[in-house]
Amino acid sequence: MATEHSRFEFDPGFLDNRLRVAWYAVLGVLLLIGGYATWLRLTQGMQSTNLTSTTPWGAWVAFYIYFVGLSAGAFLVSTLANVFGIERLHRIDRDALFAAIISMVVALLFVWTDLGRMDRMFYPFVWRQLTSPLAWEVHAYVAYILVLITELYFSMRYDLARVAEHGSGLRARLSGLLTLGRRTTTEASRATDRTWLKRAGILGIPLAIFLVHGGTGVLFAVSKARPYWNSGLFPVIFIVSAVLSGTALVMLLYVLRTRLFDGESVDRDLLERLSMLLAVFIIVDVALTAIEALIAVASLHPHELETWSIILFGEMSWSFWWFMVGFGWVFPLVMVSKRSWRRTPWLMVVAGLSVVIGIVAVRFNIVVPPQILPVMEGLPHGSYFPSAVEWATSAGMIAVGLLLYTIGAELLPLTPLDRGDH
Amino acid sequence: MSRSGENGHAPGVPDVGRPAFDEMVDDERTDPREELAKTDHDTDLGLAMAEDAKRVSRGELSAEEYWERYDELAEREFGDAYRETPNPSIESPDQTIDAETAGSLGCSVGSMDSVACDLQDRDAADAAGESSGDATDGDERWGMVIDLQKCVGCDSCTVACKAENRTPPGVSYNVVMEEEHGEFPNVTRTNVPRPCMQCENPPCVQVCPVSATYKMDNGVVNIDYDRCIGCRYCMIACPYGARYFDFGENYDDEVEEAGEITSPEYGVDRGTREDGESPIGNVRKCSFCTHRLERGEEPACVETCVGDARNMGDLDDPDSEVSEMADSSRAFQLKESEGTDPNVYYLE
Repeated sequence: MATEHSRFEFDPGFLDNRLRVAWYAVLGVLLLIGGYATWLRLTQGMQSTNLTSTTPWGAWVAFYIYFVGLSAGAFLVSTLANVFGIERLHRIDRDALFAAIISMVVALLFVWTDLGRMDRMFYPFVWRQLTSPLAWEVHAYVAYILVLITELYFSMRYDLARVAEHGSGLRARLSGLLTLGRRTTTEASRATDRTWLKRAGILGIPLAIFLVHGGTGVLFAVSKARPYWNSGLFPVIFIVSAVLSGTALVMLLYVLRTRLFDGESVDRDLLERLSMLLAVFIIVDVALTAIEALIAVASLHPHELETWSIILFGEMSWSFWWFMVGFGWVFPLVMVSKRSWRRTPWLMVVAGLSVVIGIVAVRFNIVVPPQILPVMEGLPHGSYFPSAVEWATSAGMIAVGLLLYTIGAELLPLTPLDRGDH
Repeated sequence: MSRSGENGHAPGVPDVGRPAFDEMVDDERTDPREELAKTDHDTDLGLAMAEDAKRVSRGELSAEEYWERYDELAEREFGDAYRETPNPSIESPDQTIDAETAGSLGCSVGSMDSVACDLQDRDAADAAGESSGDATDGDERWGMVIDLQKCVGCDSCTVACKAENRTPPGVSYNVVMEEEHGEFPNVTRTNVPRPCMQCENPPCVQVCPVSATYKMDNGVVNIDYDRCIGCRYCMIACPYGARYFDFGENYDDEVEEAGEITSPEYGVDRGTREDGESPIGNVRKCSFCTHRLERGEEPACVETCVGDARNMGDLDDPDSEVSEMADSSRAFQLKESEGTDPNVYYLE
């Protein structure tokens, strides 16, 4: 069984072919539903949504900031390995970067779908407004995606070259292309890669924290007409919940891919480290949200009070209590409270999934409640729940992201060939 | 089954006969001789010209003969006034007399059309030359003052606005916010009409990522429908809820061919309303009826207001009515603490 080339055998992807078929079938169904809904959205225009002039932003905007956050969070986890040199995390470095890129693609799909004139999506690169956070954001997103791709390249090039050299078939040819011609596998070239990886990471950290995700928070916070968003703490909470969701996503992907693709046993120490990080981020997120709520309520500003009462007791309060507090905070905190649970892979998968879903509710509770109350007494109240088209297009766009991720995970050496022990 | 009665006229209509109508007209008609006697000019000439003009219209006399007969007489009677007044029968698109006769006439001024054009040119030159104190000299800062004591809450402004700007369902540039306070029997009701405030510091302009909305020199906040990408950030930023998204809905069920006519908002005529074409998919709002202001008219809401509660004018002109009202102790702006400095003032 042990041939001369066994250490270069490169066969990522599903170990169980039935699982592969089932997974692609699920994605196919989601893509069909999403495709049909997208066709409805394109032909009927914005009438296919439940948005109104009182509540102009809805599910698509919530998912857009959710995926921007997921991306920024996953990226920051990757920098723990390649900038701060935490040894054990090297194993998940590429996975986190790749997930960050896919998340940004999905985020941009959402914001594109949300435009009243989808055909004018490139206009922000033609005309600008210096005082508009959104104008800055679209540029930051492009720069950020470029940094992510650069990082993934330098992180993966050495292994790509090895696969191109020793492997065969589609994967080898694709890997050869992706090396961009730098196919040397010397230690010197590897050191160069690491240097540049670190440089790109150092550039990427402020970009991700302050411009990409902090900036997305600023986009809301500058809106003085909506006192609920108009707070200095708001962008900070944005970043913390982003890091929280990113950590949960990386933990989830690590366990699933190690088990289903690599067929190896999960590194319990690494898992515990990730779950501890998760716990810290949950506590910071809870604390900052509580501070924000306290300041808002103490201001006795009628708009703040009413918005918070909508969140806590309104018709959508179930999303706050069940999803945001329950799935996002309480359940995962309970899951990571015992050492033996923290070292149990499937429990951590459930905890990670719970956070990833809970943060969706966090994003909805950011976007929708301040648009329910009219900006002036005498104007109509809003009421919003996404339409079937909005849900189905969202499912479709998420399926696009899952598909891209799965294809990438099946073809690319996202797990270091030497298992990250360098 | 004829619906007409025995005498051939419609049932229910009294049969007075045609001659009776003609008599009534003659009774009402002023006596030409009496009327012409009031002027300084020759009564007989006037009567003769009028009688022959009737013959021209009956076809008994040609227009050329008419003018050959009266050109000299009229010139002698009216002098310069005749020579300087354009003759409607010549050089107009439907010139009614032949060129030879036209050339021989004493009134040397061109046609009505050319005279009208000259007058417009002179006006334009005046306006461009120096900034006179004229009502529409192009350097105004348009402002509106709404007297809440005069507003009766009839919503005519809202209706006039929809009719003028042809806004689709769900889009209403002007609304009247109604607030009731107190408990019966001590209740008060305040009606606050809300157009776009055309803020001096507009938050909507600040956030637009493509600069599709911007402040014009005349104080009006413009939206360029050819640039707006429909992201709706401006709607989030507006503290007055004055912006509306055009979801592409129509009044086709209520009115036939509802989209045939659109308003030339911001002076741009976009033809009929069509799916997928701007302003569908764009954000829209009140423009102070820029297209009306440009031709010297007041916005539709101001013109229609039954209580004369709405006033339009130049806030840069300290002597204008709106400036004086905006300076009065009754004047206030909505949400003054926002720092937006609206160009719409209210009188409490």
